[in-house]
Amino acid sequence: MEVVEILAILPGADLGFEIAERPDDAQVLIVTGGANLKSKAELQHAYAALKPPRLVVAVGSCAASMGIFKGGYSMTGPIDSIIPVDLYITGCPPRPQVILGALAEALQLSVDGLEPLLRTPEGYRGDPHVDRETCVGCSACANVCPADAIEILDGEGQRVVRFRREACVFCGTCQDVCPTESVTLRAGDPSWYRVKGASTSEAALPLAQCGVCGAAFMPEAQLAWAMRRVEERRSLDAGDRAAIRRSLHVCMACRRSRIPDVREAKRLLTSLEKKTAIVS
Amino acid sequence: MELGAAKNRVIVYDAGLCTGCRYCEIACAVWHCGRIDVGQSRIRILFNDENRTEPYAAVNCQHCEEPLCATVCPSEAMHKDRETGWVTVNASTCIGCEMCRAACPLAVPVFDEAQKVAVKCDLCHGEPECVKHCSSRALWLAPREEALRVNERFYLGAGGNP
Repeated sequence: MEVVEILAILPGADLGFEIAERPDDAQVLIVTGGANLKSKAELQHAYAALKPPRLVVAVGSCAASMGIFKGGYSMTGPIDSIIPVDLYITGCPPRPQVILGALAEALQLSVDGLEPLLRTPEGYRGDPHVDRETCVGCSACANVCPADAIEILDGEGQRVVRFRREACVFCGTCQDVCPTESVTLRAGDPSWYRVKGASTSEAALPLAQCGVCGAAFMPEAQLAWAMRRVEERRSLDAGDRAAIRRSLHVCMACRRSRIPDVREAKRLLTSLEKKTAIVS
Repeated sequence: MELGAAKNRVIVYDAGLCTGCRYCEIACAVWHCGRIDVGQSRIRILFNDENRTEPYAAVNCQHCEEPLCATVCPSEAMHKDRETGWVTVNASTCIGCEMCRAACPLAVPVFDEAQKVAVKCDLCHGEPECVKHCSSRALWLAPREEALRVNERFYLGAGGNP
């Protein structure tokens, strides 16, 4: 639909390209979705019929990574698993202006006088960016992402939160749920790319070590955030605060499997409960 | 059971009576997940053959008066019902950040990999299966005040029952 809409912009634009009726009249193939069992052969056929230089443009997240259709029973893969792709245009869907702008830039066409038409309007959602200073690495963004576009990579004492450009559908859910408001979808980044695999943004968080078994388990920043939240919302004496801080630094596996730690946790909970009962 | 009867009652566990049969875990998993898979149980019994003085312990939700899990929850999905006293997760507002897991000293909420949300004991909406099926009556449902007294004896008292 967005590709058809660029026709509305084209009459005013002399970019030098036109829509071809058949693949064998065309030099550029624009693909707007992931490939399924039925379209795979059509795609191969269309690519074979193209005239040189046989450029393939994947438009939108589905063409690049299958987006939210990934794992669907009829899907056979992203476009580049079937034919070579020269250019990926970001968006879900990309706006007509973005498609035209990306094509013009990538194919080095002159856009003189067209700039106002190609500009992204204010307020549109662009690539997600994570604030490295405030992100606590809790993975809520990754857990809500409908397109599986956010990777959580734990290793070597740190957690990396990585926003994969090709899979993002720009829904903004990561921005909505982030407990520390560290994610923003901002427009203005380049709207196309040639090589997949790059991230739009990343944050690396050192992992805390379990005070009992020594294993790395959760980002230190996440534990600190939880502690701050407890201190803000509960009035606790110094002893309770120290006990809670200590319990935060025991990994979940130890908390749930070591009898001394379970007893210590119940002792803490009973003592907190007793104080609450006295207050109320 | 009337809702009122289950109000503000919590599960108490006596490690001295527990035999480690794990019927509670099976009953819990069957009620919540429809299958015998103790990995899905919201209660967990630990046993240690080598430690004869403290052989058993239970990881079970205390349904705290001021729950730390709900205190830290950024999306208000973890909720303490003031009417019933139950601490439950609203799966549709849970964002899967695991803050509740971090905050709970017992790490009672577990992360459901399929649904990407926290799951925990919901007291079976008033009639806990673990209590019903406990073969040695090591688990029972007690009014909050009584539960506190018993837990004080177990965990705060000097030289008390395990």
